[in-house]
Amino acid sequence: MSAYLFNRVAQALFVLWAAFTISFVLLQAMPGDAILIKFQNPDLGLNAEQVAEIRASYAADSSVPVQYARTIGNFLAGNFGYSVQAGVPVSSLLAAHLPATLKLAGLGFGLAAVLAIIIAFLSSLAPFGWLRGALQSVPSLFISVPTFWLGIMLIQIFSFRLKLVPVINPGPWQELILPVATLAVPISAPLAQVLVRNIDEVMTRPFVAVARAKGATRLWVLWRHVAKNALLPTLTIAGVLFGELIAGAVVTETVFGLNGIGGLTERAVGSQDAAVLQAIVVLSALAFVIINLAVDLLYPVLDPRLRTKTGAVA
Amino acid sequence: MTTKLKRLALTLATLATSGLALSGAQAQTTDPVKGGTLIYLEQQAHTNLYPPAGGFYPNGGILNQITDKLTYQNPKTLEIEPWIAESWTVNADATEYTFKIRPGVTFSDGSPLDAAAVAKNYDVFGLGNKALKQPVSEVINNYERSEVVDPLTVKFYFKKPSPGFLQGTSVIGSGLVAESTLALPFEELGDATKIIGSGPFVVESETIGKELNLKAREEYNWGPVKLEHQGRAYLDGIKYIITGEDSVRIGALLAGQADFIRQVQAYDEGQVEAQDYQIYAPSTRGVNNSVVFRPDNPLVADIRVRQALLHATDTKEIVTTLFSANYPQATSIIASSALGYKDISAKLTFDPVKAKALLDEAGWSVGANGLRQKDGKELVLTAYESLPQPQNKETLQLVAQQWGKVGVKLSVLAGDSGSKTVDDLDPLKTPVSPAMVGRADPDVIKSQYYPKNRDVLRQKGGLSDKVQSFVDTKLNGLLDALASEPDREKRLAIAGEVQDYVVDQAYAIPIFEEPQAYAGAPYVQGVAFEAVGRPSFYSTWLAEH
Repeated sequence: MSAYLFNRVAQALFVLWAAFTISFVLLQAMPGDAILIKFQNPDLGLNAEQVAEIRASYAADSSVPVQYARTIGNFLAGNFGYSVQAGVPVSSLLAAHLPATLKLAGLGFGLAAVLAIIIAFLSSLAPFGWLRGALQSVPSLFISVPTFWLGIMLIQIFSFRLKLVPVINPGPWQELILPVATLAVPISAPLAQVLVRNIDEVMTRPFVAVARAKGATRLWVLWRHVAKNALLPTLTIAGVLFGELIAGAVVTETVFGLNGIGGLTERAVGSQDAAVLQAIVVLSALAFVIINLAVDLLYPVLDPRLRTKTGAVA
Repeated sequence: MTTKLKRLALTLATLATSGLALSGAQAQTTDPVKGGTLIYLEQQAHTNLYPPAGGFYPNGGILNQITDKLTYQNPKTLEIEPWIAESWTVNADATEYTFKIRPGVTFSDGSPLDAAAVAKNYDVFGLGNKALKQPVSEVINNYERSEVVDPLTVKFYFKKPSPGFLQGTSVIGSGLVAESTLALPFEELGDATKIIGSGPFVVESETIGKELNLKAREEYNWGPVKLEHQGRAYLDGIKYIITGEDSVRIGALLAGQADFIRQVQAYDEGQVEAQDYQIYAPSTRGVNNSVVFRPDNPLVADIRVRQALLHATDTKEIVTTLFSANYPQATSIIASSALGYKDISAKLTFDPVKAKALLDEAGWSVGANGLRQKDGKELVLTAYESLPQPQNKETLQLVAQQWGKVGVKLSVLAGDSGSKTVDDLDPLKTPVSPAMVGRADPDVIKSQYYPKNRDVLRQKGGLSDKVQSFVDTKLNGLLDALASEPDREKRLAIAGEVQDYVVDQAYAIPIFEEPQAYAGAPYVQGVAFEAVGRPSFYSTWLAEH
């Protein structure tokens, strides 16, 4: 097990390094850079010499390998540099924006899971075939609702019209109600989809028939046997969902004016704030790696059949 | 957002606010109410708060509350009045300025705002600071050095006449900050809490990218002397909240969740006014929102082609289709409320017949696909939209439609920053560009066109090393004269000459006079705007509501 763990951690580090390097190369390849974008801004009215001097003072024109070595060295030392656009250290930007996103993503994911389970259970338990069919198509509906539109709709209805939650100056938890609801909808769709499919698949297995023959109700079977079996494959899409979460967070944070990593990313892309983008890429890669690692390590715990095959990835 | 929804939101907000409108109307006859916090919704987060970077609207909206200036430009008369400077003298050729500083002024960290502090500020604004990466201010021309004559007298010397300097001491970019702020490297000036000014408000706290809280400074007693309001600000504080989404800002205002918002699109004005809320649209009083050419590009090097496109542009249609009465049709390259304005609308006529004739004359004939052609080349031009300008993409698209009618294609590209910044420096890639700049002094024209400033025409020796040969020495000579003519009458005459020249050469097609559009609740009283449309909340108060 410890060899397996070591391998996995080594893999994770490699993924982090690759993410850093690829994003560095891509940012280099993009036309222009943050310093040019910021200081060429006509609002500053700087002339060519002044811009050139500033570029020199930032060492913006040193060779790519030199910049790469400098950046990776700084990262390893925990120094993410300064945001050229915002004029503050990247670390304090991240510290200011991370909590909101963690709250939003965590609660969004939690609510999405609840929604998905409800949809999945109902769609296999509901009376009438047409109702089950309707419930089974809810995920496709959810995934096709534009997050942006949904957010604005929720604000209009619950905040401006019914005046239930303020959007401006809300309390620390109040501010999360509408965004979490907005984010949970698109996230719950793939979860529900996989759950529904797995429940259907497990329901056809012989042990279910045996349990039913012994007189167990459909609900009891679903709860005692099927749910656990169906949950396992659902875990594997956690990584995919993480991507969805990040994408959804960008839109949601922009609409609701939450200052999270999503909104920060959107602004940093607009101004090619390389230092900020590098830090976000590495941070996202880290989260992704941790999630996948956790899933892989949980699998053998949840599924006895996998415990013997050390290192196998389902 | 659908119109149905808008109507819904409107109806509801109307019910909620009909009572408020009444109280607002009654309040005007009473004395200002002290206290309360103004909730101000801003479209974008501020960037760097180094005062000369105050041209960016969100920055200026904050700097204008927390810093004072040497002088105050009366937004109605545009005259320069005393503020931190009690009085001043200027020598005959505008190369030496002496200011007497008002005694007893302090920065919010307790340090004195005296002659030495003013000198330090202007040395940085006038010369920049390489070690700290602080750039030179755009509004200060030909600066040489400062001299502290005595604790309350400061003198500035200029290499060449600098008649625009006096007005330059009144702009947001010349906000005075404490020595501790000037000692910080440029990249740390995005942290608002480090910007120590002497203004009526002080930064209390900031959540980066989300909100900023200002609180009134109790001992503040040095506002512009000619203002009716003296002493502490009426408001206890101002809360800036970044709300990027247009519909959310307006909805929140109308639903009573906010008091004042910036950036209201022309098409949203109706729903705000329908409920007795007020639209404020102060002019930016500078170079109008225009489309400019880069004559270094062979396609637009021929003056006849540029003139043709000028006459092919129907600015009236643009203003009536996309904008409102708050966006007056341009009648010159600068706003009609600007200093030195000259009405040259006769030269800006919409005349498609003339446009076609000029293109024919220049040898561009209509090809099989309807596009003008010459020597196997098609007349296809490119422009990048400018994100800060109101509805700029739509404006350019409408211009493209109008040009299409005379056989010229204009491709409008999105204002995504990266490639835009690079391509925009290259006249071959970007022969056409939107442009505007606000400042209530004739120097603003030089700022816009001079190769060493914004260089919107992209001249050789200017901002871009991609320019092959285009230089207009006559224009540059006029601009130089404009920035260094000490005699006011002569200077304004030169300003008129430049306006004529730019349009005669068809370097620019002025479209409309750009305002800054805000909306406020009816109970918000006493909002003022400095000369280029940035809000001042010093005398603002909230009536009972």
